[in-house]
Amino acid sequence: MESSNQFSSTPPRAPGGPRESRRHTPKADMSGLYQRAVKEAFIKLDPRITVKNPVMFIVWVGTIVTALVTFNPNLFGNVPDTGLNQQIFNGLITFILFFTLVFANFAEAVAEGRGKAQADSLRATRSDTVARKMLPDGSVQEVSSTDLRRGDQVKVIAGDMIPSDGDVIQGIGSVDESAITGESAPVLKQPGTDIASSVTGGTRLLSDELVIRITSDPGKGFIDRMIALVEGAERSKTPNEIALTVLLVVLTQVFLIVIATMSPLANYVQSPTTIAILIALLVALIPTTIGGLLSAIGIAGMDRVAQFNVIATSGRAVEACGDINTLVLDKTGTITLGNRLASQFIPINGYSEQAVAQAALAASVFDETPEGRSIVRLAEEMGATVDFDRNAAEGVEFSARTRMSGTNLPDGGEARKGAVDAVKGFVRSRGGTLSADLDAAYERVSRLGGTPLAVCRNSEVYGIIYLKDIVKPGLRERFDQLRRMGVRTIMLTGDNRITASVIAEEAGVDDFIAEATPEDKIDVIRREQAQGKLVAMTGDGTNDAPALAQANVGVAMNSGTQAAKEAANMVDLDSDPTKLIDLVAIGKQLLITRGALTTFSIANDIAKYFAIIPTIFAAAGIGSLNVMGLKSPQSAIISALIYNALIILALIPLALKGVEFRPLTANQLLQRNILIYGVGGVIAPFIAIKLIDLILPIS
Amino acid sequence: MKSPAPNQYLISFYSSQAFEDMGEFWSAWRRRKLPSYLFLALCFNTLFAPAVLAATGGELDRLQVWALTLLGIATVCLSAYLFVVMFQPERF
Repeated sequence: MESSNQFSSTPPRAPGGPRESRRHTPKADMSGLYQRAVKEAFIKLDPRITVKNPVMFIVWVGTIVTALVTFNPNLFGNVPDTGLNQQIFNGLITFILFFTLVFANFAEAVAEGRGKAQADSLRATRSDTVARKMLPDGSVQEVSSTDLRRGDQVKVIAGDMIPSDGDVIQGIGSVDESAITGESAPVLKQPGTDIASSVTGGTRLLSDELVIRITSDPGKGFIDRMIALVEGAERSKTPNEIALTVLLVVLTQVFLIVIATMSPLANYVQSPTTIAILIALLVALIPTTIGGLLSAIGIAGMDRVAQFNVIATSGRAVEACGDINTLVLDKTGTITLGNRLASQFIPINGYSEQAVAQAALAASVFDETPEGRSIVRLAEEMGATVDFDRNAAEGVEFSARTRMSGTNLPDGGEARKGAVDAVKGFVRSRGGTLSADLDAAYERVSRLGGTPLAVCRNSEVYGIIYLKDIVKPGLRERFDQLRRMGVRTIMLTGDNRITASVIAEEAGVDDFIAEATPEDKIDVIRREQAQGKLVAMTGDGTNDAPALAQANVGVAMNSGTQAAKEAANMVDLDSDPTKLIDLVAIGKQLLITRGALTTFSIANDIAKYFAIIPTIFAAAGIGSLNVMGLKSPQSAIISALIYNALIILALIPLALKGVEFRPLTANQLLQRNILIYGVGGVIAPFIAIKLIDLILPIS
Repeated sequence: MKSPAPNQYLISFYSSQAFEDMGEFWSAWRRRKLPSYLFLALCFNTLFAPAVLAATGGELDRLQVWALTLLGIATVCLSAYLFVVMFQPERF
């Protein structure tokens, strides 16, 4: 993956713009979302659907039973006359339980609706196109894109939409990938490179012609996988969700057994209870808040990943991001900008810095590479100007043979810049002499981790240009954030130790491995995993595939090879290696949201105990525990149930948006969330139930 | 050859009919489970309702006893369902 070209002629496209302003996947049409969600909320009342959510299924059964006792209050036994119309009371309970179910279904329907809207906008970028399939005899046959299979070869000409995912095997062309990435700048695609040979179906070829080998069958391309993920319809539960479901079911089972055995105990303490009250107590105590919102949180988490232009093969991969301990990153293109930039002119042989700048400018005026442009920019900042007629001068391009580039000046002079030993040879050939200063300056720059370029004019060496590897802006802060989150960063590079240590220090990574080979990548990952850690890494080349497969979270670049994409469990459509940092935040946010709402839901129970039980069993002498001063058992039950239903509705925005993620340590996060959702979960229902009780016209 | 006595003929006819009915019931069970569950619920209700009637000391009428018994069976089934979710959560 390391690229050591000094003057790259086809620089890889960097993700466009600052992270915050980068456009994500096409904006989905959310109009009518809530109307459709309301309709879906009632459709999901089907018991065949509700049975998949154990907690809400208990509420569903309870609703049916209370509906029966609404019609016949004495169905399960003679109800003592309390002066209250039993049918109205039972009907109220039925009504509230019904809407508890509807609100929970509504939450899931909104989350699914948002995902479906996103999936529809992605589908709109795909359409059945006509593909020019190349037959074995060399002829071209027009077929529908849905008839293409893995291994077929197609010819795509300028203006055509690329029919399916594939690898470029012939030709060079510019591809507009804005349909899937939102990035308007076209991307150069050419065969034989690890980072520019892969194309995605649904993108458009803007220039020239390409021959592409199809790498996926219809319906199995990356966009199709993204659609399946965001739609959420066939989503399977992640390990964390399954574990949480088991916890909720255990709690529900305990409360079910307690309530089922409560009737004889209630009779014993002279506080007989009706079936409706027992069911109301059961629903109030089971964790309906998190039970109703759990699937919405999971679906919203997947949507958030898709909004960041990342295709995850499963929710398990996204959750794994939240538990990552170690991040393995490449240096060039990931931690540093892909191209080195001129940082300083170092004069030798008694020349001034200004003179070196003047010579460097003369040698770089025709150099269109990023390195060349940076040299021109630095020279002009130092006041250097072009002191010859450009139209009469001639540029000399860099070549692998000469390892230099420069300008043939109008007066017959030659200005050159390039590798130090190449320039030495050039100067000697023009009859010049070399001083020890040149070697000293060269070593100094190398020790600083940069690339030295010698500058000469005719037979005189003026000095050295210090090309510095520029660490991407803002990375140091992001690595600090990761460190606070407990994630360790390791930088891998093929550079020498001195260069690597300088860059590692500047970027703020925790550790680095210099002179690394592709085998070293997989060794690092295995070593960390052997210590019980979860490792994430990014990669785009075929040689990264084993490491991507070995890592717990492997993020492949969309511009990478098919092998890398197949080996990884996520693909970044923006081809931004630092996206891994965002994914860690998203994964943690998903886990934190679930944990926070579970804590809140269970903490709510405390208030409900104090609301319902003292009023029901007042005759047993625990009426003094009615700290909220609720008017009667009936108003206490109704108030608690109303709160139970409304809190699900109130927490839907939080479930969909996710708890705000802060890059704090685990202890700080725990303290903060326990305070807000634990203590808040205890206090909030006391206030809310009392307010509802005051408003209710039941005594 | 003596023909079988009428009683023996009837016994063999009804026993083979019973086996056929059981076979049909089994294949119907595998195809459509809801009617089978309802039938089983009615059977269990018939089994346990007298016990509930005896336990309540005759204070409840027949409809109340049946409803209470059905509620008890439903509660046990719910509890069993929750145990299934606990041990096989990936099914849900």
